[in-house]
Amino acid sequence: MEIHELTAKETAKAIKDKKFSAVEAVRSSMARISKYDGVVNALITVLEEDALRRAGEIDALIARGEDPGPLAGVPYIVKDNFCTRGVRTTCSSHILENWKPTYNASPVNYMNAAGAILMAKSNLDEFAMGSSTENSIIGPTKNPRDLGRVPGGSSGGSAAAVASGYVPLALGTDTGGSVRQPAAFCGIQGIKPSYGEVSRYGIIAYCSALDQVSPLARSVEDLALAMEILARPDPNDTTCDGYARPKFSDATAMKDLKGCRIGVFAGFEASEMDSDLYGALTRAGDICREAGAVIEPIDLPIAVKYGVATYYVTALADASSKLGCYDGIRYGTHIEGATLADMYANTRTSSFSEEVRRRIILGACLLTEGFYQNYYGPALKVRTKMAEEFEDVFSKYDAYLLPTTPSLPYPLGTKETDPNRMYLGDVFTVPISLGGLPGLSLSMGFNSANLPLSVQIVGSRYGDSKVLGIAAALERLIGRPTVCDPRKLGEVA
Amino acid sequence: MAVVSKRPIVIGLEVHIQLNTDTKLFCSCSTDYIGHTPNSNTCPICLAVPGTLPLLNDCAVELGSRMGLGLHGEIQRYSNFHRKNYFYPDLAKAYQITQYGLTISDGGYLDIESEGKPRRVRIHHLHLEEDAGKLVHPTADGRLTGAAYSLVDYNRGGVPLSEIVSEPDMSSPAEARDYVIRLRQLARYLDVSDGEMESGSLRVDANISLTNPDGSLGTRVEIKNMNSLKSLERALEYEISRQNKVLDSGGRIIQETRLWDDAEEVTRSMRNKETASDYRYYPEMDLAPIVITDDQIEAFKRSMPELPWEKRERFEKSFGLAYEEIAILTERKELARYYEDTVEAGAPPARAANWVRMEVLRALNELGQDITDCKVKPSALAELVKKVESKEISSTIGKEVLDVLARENITLEDAIKRTGASVGRITSESLDALIDKILGGNPDVVDTIKSGQDKKGGKLKFLQGLIMKESKGQADPREASETLAKKLEGLC
Repeated sequence: MEIHELTAKETAKAIKDKKFSAVEAVRSSMARISKYDGVVNALITVLEEDALRRAGEIDALIARGEDPGPLAGVPYIVKDNFCTRGVRTTCSSHILENWKPTYNASPVNYMNAAGAILMAKSNLDEFAMGSSTENSIIGPTKNPRDLGRVPGGSSGGSAAAVASGYVPLALGTDTGGSVRQPAAFCGIQGIKPSYGEVSRYGIIAYCSALDQVSPLARSVEDLALAMEILARPDPNDTTCDGYARPKFSDATAMKDLKGCRIGVFAGFEASEMDSDLYGALTRAGDICREAGAVIEPIDLPIAVKYGVATYYVTALADASSKLGCYDGIRYGTHIEGATLADMYANTRTSSFSEEVRRRIILGACLLTEGFYQNYYGPALKVRTKMAEEFEDVFSKYDAYLLPTTPSLPYPLGTKETDPNRMYLGDVFTVPISLGGLPGLSLSMGFNSANLPLSVQIVGSRYGDSKVLGIAAALERLIGRPTVCDPRKLGEVA
Repeated sequence: MAVVSKRPIVIGLEVHIQLNTDTKLFCSCSTDYIGHTPNSNTCPICLAVPGTLPLLNDCAVELGSRMGLGLHGEIQRYSNFHRKNYFYPDLAKAYQITQYGLTISDGGYLDIESEGKPRRVRIHHLHLEEDAGKLVHPTADGRLTGAAYSLVDYNRGGVPLSEIVSEPDMSSPAEARDYVIRLRQLARYLDVSDGEMESGSLRVDANISLTNPDGSLGTRVEIKNMNSLKSLERALEYEISRQNKVLDSGGRIIQETRLWDDAEEVTRSMRNKETASDYRYYPEMDLAPIVITDDQIEAFKRSMPELPWEKRERFEKSFGLAYEEIAILTERKELARYYEDTVEAGAPPARAANWVRMEVLRALNELGQDITDCKVKPSALAELVKKVESKEISSTIGKEVLDVLARENITLEDAIKRTGASVGRITSESLDALIDKILGGNPDVVDTIKSGQDKKGGKLKFLQGLIMKESKGQADPREASETLAKKLEGLC
C-alpha cells in the first residue's frame, strides 16, 4: 500500500517504526493535494512549509527515541472554521477573508499535541450554513467519487480531502449533519459525537446549541482514535462536559454484536427515499442480525415529522445572534457608511452571501415578539418531546440504524436554488443533533452507478463508545472505505 | 422637598450595581477600568473574537447571591443566561449576556424609612449581567451630535453588574431616594459593590406612573440617565409635574423612555413604544446553566455579615443610643466598627457615640478624609474620652487633642503635650493662685460685679473664660466657678 492509502493509525505506526518518515508522509500528502486539488477544490489554505517543518521536528523526536504521540507524523486537515494561530481562518466568508486568529482552537491544540501535522484548511459552506459546500468564497468543492456531484456539506472540503487521500483524518463541524452527510456523500466514515464531548473553544460558531467538532476518516478505528484525542474536558468551554471519557479505542475491538439490541428505523415508506440507500439500511440491519444482534423495527414519529422545522428554528435563531459580532469594527471586513446604520448595512450586506443573510434575517425574525411565541417557543417544546421519544427508544435498544441521507449525492448546482429542498435533505441527521446524540455515518459501499451508500448509527447521549463499537463490527464485515483518485463518473470505466 | 400631586404616584426602580469582583463576568480582564488607556483592558473574549466562549466568574455568582440574600430573596438552585440582542458599537458581541426569566435571586424586600415613616419595598428579582463598553465622541461637549466619527472603548465591556428590579412600591421621589440609599448601604455592608453613583458603579432607572381617578395604574414612563441621588429626585419631581400637567390639560401619557437632562433639568423623550427595541432574547448556549447547591447557599448565608438593620437593633439594645445617633453610626459599617472598637477599648457608649458622631466626623470632614483613613485610633479615642470623662482634661482640650491626632501619627500623650496642656488636672492650690492672679489683674471687672452691675452675668462669664484659658483647659469648670464665686463673695 502507498502512504496515502494508509489509515491514521497505520501511518503513525509506520512512522514510529521508521518504515517512512513524517516528512515523507507530508510529501505524500502534498503530492495528492498538488495532483488533485486543482479540480476537487477542497482546500482554502495549504500549509506546506509549516507542515514540513513540523514533520522534521517529529522525525527528530523519533530519532531521539521519544514518542511524539498517538498520531505521530499523521497529516490532518481542519475545516476553515477552526481558529488557527497566525493562519487565515475564513469560514468561507468575505467578512473574514483576511482574518488571522491569534490563538488555536482547542481541538487543533489537542491534535498537534498528539503528534498530528496540520496540512491544510478545508472548504465549507459559508459559516457552515449549507449541505453542499457550494456556497464559498473559493467556489464549490467537488465530490471526488464523481466530480460532477456535490461532496455534501458543510464539511465537504474535509470529506473530499479524506476520500481523495490527501490525509487519512480530517476534522469538521456537525450542527445538523454537516459531517455525517458529507461523509456519506464521499463514501467515508464520520462521527458527530454527543453534544458536550468535544470542546468548541476556537470553533467559529454557527449554532452554539448544536455545533460539535466531528472527525472524518476512512476507518472507524481512526474515528475512535480521534475521539480519544479530542473528547476531554476543556476549561475554556463550560458546555464541554467534565466527565471522565471511556477509552474509545477499546470499543472498536468488539468482535460481534451478540447481546446488542438494535432498532432499525422503519417510520417511512421506502418510496420516500432513494431505493439504494433504503437497501443499504436494510442490509446493515441484516448484517447486524447475522453478527448476533437482536434487530427490531422502530419508529421516531416526532423526530422525523418535526425535526427539520425544529432544527431550522433553533439553529437560525442562534445564528442570528451569534453572527451579530461581525460588525466591521474590531476585525474582519469593514465598509464605511455615512451613518452607523449604513456602516453596518454596507459591511454585512456585501460580506455575507445570500444564504447567510437569509438565515440571519429568518433567525432574527423568529425571535421577535409574536414570532417567538409561535416558533421558537414551540420549537423548544418539540425538542423536549423529541428527547422523551429518544429516551423511550434507548430504554429498549443499545443503538439504532437509520439513513444518513434520503438521497444520493446530487449534481453540482441543482439544489442551491431551492433552499427548502436542500433543508429537507437533513431529515435524518437533524433530529440526532437536536437530541445531542452521537451519530456515525458508515460507508456501505457503492451502488451499481458507483455512488457511495451509507447508513447512520445512533446511540444514546454519551453512548459514543457503543456507536463506535457497532460501527467497527459492521465495518469489519462490510470492508472499510478506500481512497479514490478523483474522477468524473462515466469518464473512467 | 415634598412633591404635590393630586394623583397618587407609583414608582419602581431598576438599580444596576457593579459587583466588587477582581475580574470581568466572563473573562479574566480586570474590572479596574477607569482611567486606563482605551481598549488596553480587553481580551479575545470581551472583544468577541470569533471562536471564543464566555467563562462565568464564580465570584460574581457569590456576590449576586449575597446581595439576593441581603434582600431576603430566594436564591435559585438553577438559573441561566440569555442573549439580549441589539446592535450598537459598544456591545462587541451584538448581544449582552444577561439573565432573563430564570434569575439568580427571586423576590424579597427591603425595608426603608422615608421622612420618618417605615416602608417595605418589595423586590421583583435580582439578576446578573455584563456591562457594555463606552463610546467616545470627539466633540467639545462629548456628545454624539456633530461628531464626525466616534471611538469605541471596550475597557468596561464585560464588567459584572447585578440588576435589582423593585416592585412599584414607592410613592414619592423621596422614597425612591431613600430606597437607593438603603440599597447602596446594603451593597456596601455586604462588600458587594462600592455603590458610587458618580463613578457609575451604581446606576438607577426609574419607572413612574400616576394613578388614574378610578384607581387603575396609569401609563408607565421610564426615565434614564440620572447619575446622582439629587438628579434622581429632581427627575422624578419633574416627571410628576409634567405628567400632571399633561393629564390636567386633557392629554394622555404615552409609554416611552425619557432621558434626564441634568443641565436643563428636564426629561426628554428618547424612544416610545413603537420604536422600542425588541431584544429578541435567546438562551445563551455558550454557558452552562448556573447551578447553586443547598450547601453553597448555606455557605453564603454563613458568610453573611451583620446587616444594617441587625446592627441598628443591636446598637439600640447594647448601647442604649437614640435612633438618630444609631442611624449615623451605622450608616457605614466601617464607622460602626470604629465606634464599637472605641467602646470596646473602654469608652462609655453614650460618650463615645457623641465623640464619634460629632468630633471624629467633623475632623475627618475638615481633612476631607474617610473613616477608613482616620489616624485617630479607636483605642486613643477611648483613652481621650475617658480622660475628659474623668475631668483629667477638659472637653475643649479634648477636641484640640483629637484634631492633633487626626492630623498626625503621634501618641495620645504627645498630642496632649502638643496642645500645651499638662498631663493631669490642675490642683486646687494652683487654681486658687490662678484665680487670685486673674482677679488681681482685672480690678475693673471685679468692681463691676461687686457693685451689682453685672446683671446679665456677662462679666462673670468673662472671668470664668479667662480661668479656663489661662489653665489651658485644665481647670475643672465646676470647681473653677465655685472657687471664683467664693473669692468674689470673700471680696464683698
